[in-house]
Amino acid sequence: MDRSWYWKAGLIVLVALGAVYALVPTWTYFQLPADQRNEAGVFEQRRPGWAPKRHLNLGLDLQGGIHLVMGVEVDRAVREKAVRRAEELALDFDRRSIKGVDVKGDPDTGIVTVTGNPDAVSKAKDEITTGYTDMYVRRSSSGSFELAMKDSAIKLLKESAVDQAVKAIRNRVDKWGVSEPTIAKRGDNAILVQLPGYSNPEKAKELLGKTAQLEFKMVDDADRSLTQLKDLPPGVTLDWDRYEGPGGAEVQSPYLRGKDRNQLTTFLQGKAPPGREFGLQKVEERGRGEGYYRTYLFDKKAGLTGEYITDATIAFDNSPGEGNRPYVQVTFNRTGADVFGRLTAANVKKRMAIVLDDNVDSAPVIQSEIPGGICSIHLGGLKPINEVLQEAKDLALVLKSGALPAPVRILEERSVGASLGPELIRRGTKAAVGGLLLVLIFMALYYRFSGFVADIALVLNGIVVLAVMALMDSTLTLPGIAGFVLTLGMAVDANVLINERIREEMKGGRAIGAAVQQGYDKVFWTIFDGHVTALVAGFVIRAYGSGPVRGFATTLIIGLLASMFTSIVVTRAIVEWFVGHGKLHKAFSV
Amino acid sequence: MQMKYFELIKPGTNHDFVKYRRVAVTASLVVNALILFGAVAWPKLNYGVDFAGGTELQLKFNKQVDASDVRDQVSKVGFGEPTVQVYGNPSENQFLIRVERIALLTPETAAKVKDEVSRELSTSEPSGFHFDPEVGDKLDFSFKKPVDPKALQAAVEKAGVQPKEVRTLTSREGQIQEYTVITQGPGDKIGAALRERFGQESVEVVRTEYVGPQVGKQLRNDGILAVLYAMGMILIYVGFRFDFRFSPGVIIALIHDAIVTLGYFVVTRHEFNLTSVTVILTVVGYSVNDTIVIYDRIRENRKRFKGTAFRDLINLSINEMLGRTILTSGATALSLVGLIVYGVGTIQDFALAMLVGIISGTYSTWYIASPMTIWLEERAEERREFEANKPKPKPHAQKPQQPAASR
Repeated sequence: MDRSWYWKAGLIVLVALGAVYALVPTWTYFQLPADQRNEAGVFEQRRPGWAPKRHLNLGLDLQGGIHLVMGVEVDRAVREKAVRRAEELALDFDRRSIKGVDVKGDPDTGIVTVTGNPDAVSKAKDEITTGYTDMYVRRSSSGSFELAMKDSAIKLLKESAVDQAVKAIRNRVDKWGVSEPTIAKRGDNAILVQLPGYSNPEKAKELLGKTAQLEFKMVDDADRSLTQLKDLPPGVTLDWDRYEGPGGAEVQSPYLRGKDRNQLTTFLQGKAPPGREFGLQKVEERGRGEGYYRTYLFDKKAGLTGEYITDATIAFDNSPGEGNRPYVQVTFNRTGADVFGRLTAANVKKRMAIVLDDNVDSAPVIQSEIPGGICSIHLGGLKPINEVLQEAKDLALVLKSGALPAPVRILEERSVGASLGPELIRRGTKAAVGGLLLVLIFMALYYRFSGFVADIALVLNGIVVLAVMALMDSTLTLPGIAGFVLTLGMAVDANVLINERIREEMKGGRAIGAAVQQGYDKVFWTIFDGHVTALVAGFVIRAYGSGPVRGFATTLIIGLLASMFTSIVVTRAIVEWFVGHGKLHKAFSV
Repeated sequence: MQMKYFELIKPGTNHDFVKYRRVAVTASLVVNALILFGAVAWPKLNYGVDFAGGTELQLKFNKQVDASDVRDQVSKVGFGEPTVQVYGNPSENQFLIRVERIALLTPETAAKVKDEVSRELSTSEPSGFHFDPEVGDKLDFSFKKPVDPKALQAAVEKAGVQPKEVRTLTSREGQIQEYTVITQGPGDKIGAALRERFGQESVEVVRTEYVGPQVGKQLRNDGILAVLYAMGMILIYVGFRFDFRFSPGVIIALIHDAIVTLGYFVVTRHEFNLTSVTVILTVVGYSVNDTIVIYDRIRENRKRFKGTAFRDLINLSINEMLGRTILTSGATALSLVGLIVYGVGTIQDFALAMLVGIISGTYSTWYIASPMTIWLEERAEERREFEANKPKPKPHAQKPQQPAASR
């Protein structure tokens, strides 16, 4: 036994102990009941303080969960931008007193057309070619020209649309309490969302896909046009809101109520006074079943929109009779707070409708100026408290994420029910352990002592692979197990090659020590070439493959490196130790 | 020193592998051509949703249910030819249902919806309509005046399409009003139909997969690219480590094995999905290793026995490695036994296809990779002699078919 052997042996023991140490949190993780595994708090509590934090995760295919690929409709974002740009252009022309031009944005093509008297049009065109960097003149004739977004601007817009969507989705998912979600950009216009352990795809899609729009609009309580309306549809009645208005005087305001939402909408179509519109609120009555819809008349133009929201949280109302009813508290950013403060100051003792996705959520009376930009939204009417809590949570979530900048749509959806995961793990473990045992027994029977040594190497190989994966915080998936099987096959092959070679050398008449040395030396390059070729393939696959194929490659790469170490270094050290202690010659067999 | 050990292959075995190379290559060519024909033309690979796009549901019933009954129910709601398979043990009442479409809308129905909506909501002045048949489940409408989403939904329903959700995209003042109608996907529709037939609580959707057609295409391209690039890199590595004349043999053996593994999916008609691609990649990795090990021995023997005919070198090397090859293949196959016994569906397919691949990988090393190398070696020799300006026929280069010396 020379000095280098002790160095090697020390290294091997270190690697083995290190691997076991790295697997401690993984062990803890798998000891947890399946439904608590993804709760970071529970895991942290159970994890021994001295153990590392990272652990092996189970892929969605093994533990259940949702995999979604959402396409961002970037083209729509571009077209909408063009339309908004048209509005801005019109304003700009007004400001620069270019009169007599008409600016129109086509929401289908995103092309902006400017028409009017030739002089003004040519002035407008000059204005654009000098002042606007994101649009260019696409076609022009005297009296009209067409504008389109420049390619560079479109590219930027698309990128930012996807980025914003990613941000918004991440925001929403984070606040869901799904631990270890994956939210990543995929390609130019898609987003990958993985929610391990989450098993309600409908709900996920609903929350992720929603384009929330929150607006605050001032209610017009002075208008009396509703009272002038003749022949109300059956079931629709006129009623009055009463509340204490400015100076303590009672304000009375008419509204319509009815059970049928469509009926109300159709009836009110086109009946709002200029600059105003009707909105509907669903009112639920205690113990009376369905509830009804009622109207509000408010400004068409929103006083404030959801863009200015920075935070939305749940708070509990513990005033008497409310029994800790949850409500949502909304915080605005500085600009928002400013606008909101001015809006409320100018409208004290008037009502402001909170409109979410075109439904009136509520219309509280502004009691006083609300400075500082914090506002409360009470919801749910008379629903059971846990339902209200749920609704409050959802609303807070949606508000907090803000509106998605561009609509998203599901391109790919995979969900594995929570019941399937454990079943797969159980079967998978049986299969893997069964297969491994068979190989171990086979090797030990065929090569006896050397086979046993090879078995130690194989088991160590498995432990090292799992440990490295745990340290890398990676995920064990079905294709990953496939990669592992291939590695196992190659590790077996390495050992077979070595042992066969030693047999050959011994047949050639060498003493056992020399045969072992020759065997390992000669086979080294064979094993090296086989492993490196597979490694090359592994890295290429990892670079170009997608999804499950990448998982396969990751395990393969780790496994091949571990296999080289265990088959060449570990078995050799063990065998040399036995050979070196001559007394064990008789026990040695290949 | 007396050693006793098991020996699978007796030393000195000298099976003439090279001799059968023409037969083997011809047979392999035919088999590969048949598999490729089967995969591309008829009966075609049974592409899973990963590549074909579509919707796949794994359902679990809480009672005994007849597969044909399920199939009837699914086709009744408008899916012409659904694939319904019993999944796993029949006593578990699990089924795998696959429908090609991800949406129920065809351009014709979409046009019908458009007409209906323009008629019903003419007062709101419909100004635009957009339907992308590739997407298939979404209808975009725009109007000059606001529309009640419920009214829009009613109009769509009137045209015979079941909307799942109506979204208001923009309803700004004085602007074009835009709405999107998302129709019910096949998953919802199938689930509803089955619940109606077998009882509300009877069906549990264990797993759903939905892949849009573009994504399917992209996944397929990514997979093919990964395999191609990997092959290219292997070619280069083998070229540097051995000889560029060795590279084509490795690659051809590898393509052969990939195709034979594909054959498992063609013959069984089992679903070909992303996991199947990983099987093929695994087989490719295995096959390369197998071939490299033999090449390594050839390289070694070439140095040891200078002057021996190349074909004899190859035969010698294969025979020397015979024990190892069979042992390794056997051990790897053993590790798959567990997956074959306990696996279900995809996992079982994975293991079985892999087994086919391992057998093919061993075969291809002996009968495909080596003959390829011989052939290239002979061509190289011919060229050398031709270059040396020898007009006379070259005896040993032109008689590759000489009978084997040892029999």
